[in-house]
Amino acid sequence: MLERTGHPGIVLARLDDMVRWAEESSLWPLMMGLACCAIEMMATAASRFDISRFGMEVFRASPRQADLMIVAGRASIKMVPIIRRLYDQMSDPKWVVSMGACASTSGVFSNYAIINGIDKIIPVDIYVPGCPPNPELLLDGLIKLQQKIRQGVPPGQRP
Amino acid sequence: MNNDLITRDNISQVTDELAGQIASPENREVTLYAAPDAILPLCQELRDRRELGYNLLSDITAVDHYGSEPRFELVYRMYAIPDNRRLWIKSRIEIDQNVESVTPIWKNADWLEREVFDLMGVKFDNHPNLRRLLMPTPWIGHPLRKDHPIGGEEVQFTFNKDDIISQGDFYSEHLEGMDLRGYVENGDVIETEAGARRMALYAGDGKLVMNMGPQHPSTHGVLRVILAMEGETIIDADIDIGYVHTGIEKQAEQLIYQQTLTLTDRMDYVVPLMCNLAYVLPIEKMLGVEIPPKAKYVRVLLNELTRISSHLIWLGTHGLELGAMSMLLYGFTDREKILDIFELCSGQRMMTSYINIGGIRDDIPEGFRALVKDFIEYFPGRLKDYHALLTNNPIWLERTKGIGYLSLKDALDYGVTGPLLRAAGMEWDVRKAWPYAGYEEFDFDIPTGENSDVYDRYLVRMEEMSQSLRIVEQALAKITDGPYRIEDYKIVLPPRQRLDVSMESLIHHFLLSTHGFKVPVGDAYVSVEGPRGETGFYIASDGTEKPYRMHMRPASFSALQAFPLMSRGHLIADIVAVLGSIDMVMGEVDR
Repeated sequence: MLERTGHPGIVLARLDDMVRWAEESSLWPLMMGLACCAIEMMATAASRFDISRFGMEVFRASPRQADLMIVAGRASIKMVPIIRRLYDQMSDPKWVVSMGACASTSGVFSNYAIINGIDKIIPVDIYVPGCPPNPELLLDGLIKLQQKIRQGVPPGQRP
Repeated sequence: MNNDLITRDNISQVTDELAGQIASPENREVTLYAAPDAILPLCQELRDRRELGYNLLSDITAVDHYGSEPRFELVYRMYAIPDNRRLWIKSRIEIDQNVESVTPIWKNADWLEREVFDLMGVKFDNHPNLRRLLMPTPWIGHPLRKDHPIGGEEVQFTFNKDDIISQGDFYSEHLEGMDLRGYVENGDVIETEAGARRMALYAGDGKLVMNMGPQHPSTHGVLRVILAMEGETIIDADIDIGYVHTGIEKQAEQLIYQQTLTLTDRMDYVVPLMCNLAYVLPIEKMLGVEIPPKAKYVRVLLNELTRISSHLIWLGTHGLELGAMSMLLYGFTDREKILDIFELCSGQRMMTSYINIGGIRDDIPEGFRALVKDFIEYFPGRLKDYHALLTNNPIWLERTKGIGYLSLKDALDYGVTGPLLRAAGMEWDVRKAWPYAGYEEFDFDIPTGENSDVYDRYLVRMEEMSQSLRIVEQALAKITDGPYRIEDYKIVLPPRQRLDVSMESLIHHFLLSTHGFKVPVGDAYVSVEGPRGETGFYIASDGTEKPYRMHMRPASFSALQAFPLMSRGHLIADIVAVLGSIDMVMGEVDR
């Protein structure tokens, strides 16, 4: 290959691409639903919207086996340490999608019980708007996350 | 009944009087005013005296009348089942006054009193386990008190990972600060007897203690169950809730009535339209408005569709957890068809806020009838398929028959309503017992079970779906042309086209959008039959545009308390079946 292209680094770069391709096309979400958005997340996984078209149908109940956390719903101050612990238990590389207005900004609620955005405790890659977001919108967010992975943006950082 | 204050001395006199009057239909609903120290003996009489028989405690809540003395008002509500009578006890207490706990009489008073203690700071004497219920243990203050700030902070967006990690440490202190020994007051831990028992339970004592949740696929949201086991057999269980406590009841006090409506969507998020209805009914009762027939029937129709969609989610997840994965896919396929109808009406799939105070928000759209008709034709065949898949399936029978038994007496003691109570053999349904929103005009049956196990609850819910379909069919036939909301433009927005031609409409529109409407002083409660049981809103108004106190009676809150009883003696794998048969929604339980 060196003889043909005169470029020795090309194999390494392609391996990188291949790893990213593998990462983006087999994201395994953590089976964690907090509130209303979890119902739409289930609808996304079910027959009409069919998340398995994007290689994401393997919802794992154990954080050790998951590499994508979809924070679906409002995060109360009682739940926050547990979300953090679950995130810490996931193995690298891992990504976070903040699904819905509550997870991103606390949405229609602004009070003592809810933290205003899950990004205060875990790094977020994609914010999906909506209350709750339609399954199409969640899928759009997940496709954007795939693009981000393909571009090689490190988890939790802006492209 | 007269409105005299009941004290410890005149209880027998009052109950004698009550027993004489109770037979007449205008005394179906009675309100008693009691002194705080008379509550426990009065409740004992009310339940134990044969002719009174108030055997189901529906709810305990408190209202903070800040600035007046005595400050708090405790509100107890109970039912006599199957006689269909309802009784309220109201009692004013001082801020530092303790009340005798009613847990010896009704077991579900346990969590209800804990909730009042947690959110209002009212203390109950002789309560076996007076700890915080919804807020984390180290939290300071009682949020629903009027002098407690609502909280909340500005929204910040950040991509800075390092900052986040250090802030995460701050939050993880919550975990370390949790104390199981008792409750925390002014930073000190006050140990309780139940706390000591909990510590013994957690310490093992030869048993295996296992934690399940809050992140667990079969807890239907964020529920934490702590199981004590011998081998694989459950000896005891302890439930921890509050992981999705959202402070909606506090938030509602800051918003005008129309804005609060949008919060009710998010309480029981599986059945938003039913919450909308339960919320608007007491307000309409206080305002004294009569809604037009079209709106009434559309409300009934949408509510029954909501019930079917909730039962489909239950069927899907329950099936999935017990190994019938295809049920999830089938259930959601059908649910999407119902959501299409909601989306057509309101533009939203889930949080529709379509049922408004004074009617429905918009007229039913073109194509609505056709879509509902399609569903009525489509669904019975699917229901038949589900019966064919599950009802006689040997694996399904093995997993559900004889599991999670709850006797009728226990069900009433724990305040269990809805399909669980009906599966225990009691034919009680709010739609028949306390008709609301025009349900008395519809013809439908109440299915009941005999064995009160997971299988019977399954059969009851399956039959409820076909009964709901019957109501949908009748409601569709009743919907005729006409106004879809009241024409009192002090309560509902005037039509858009009138704003261009009428100054008065413009004023109404402006006032409603900026100030809202005033609701007369008083309180009201209307309950609806949700898919999980009696769901209702208690609303106290002080005559302003905002609810002074809004409290929801969550149906699965009571049923969840009976879970340790239902699971004792079963294997660990059966926990999932029992939890599935309760069909709780944590958004409703925690609010």
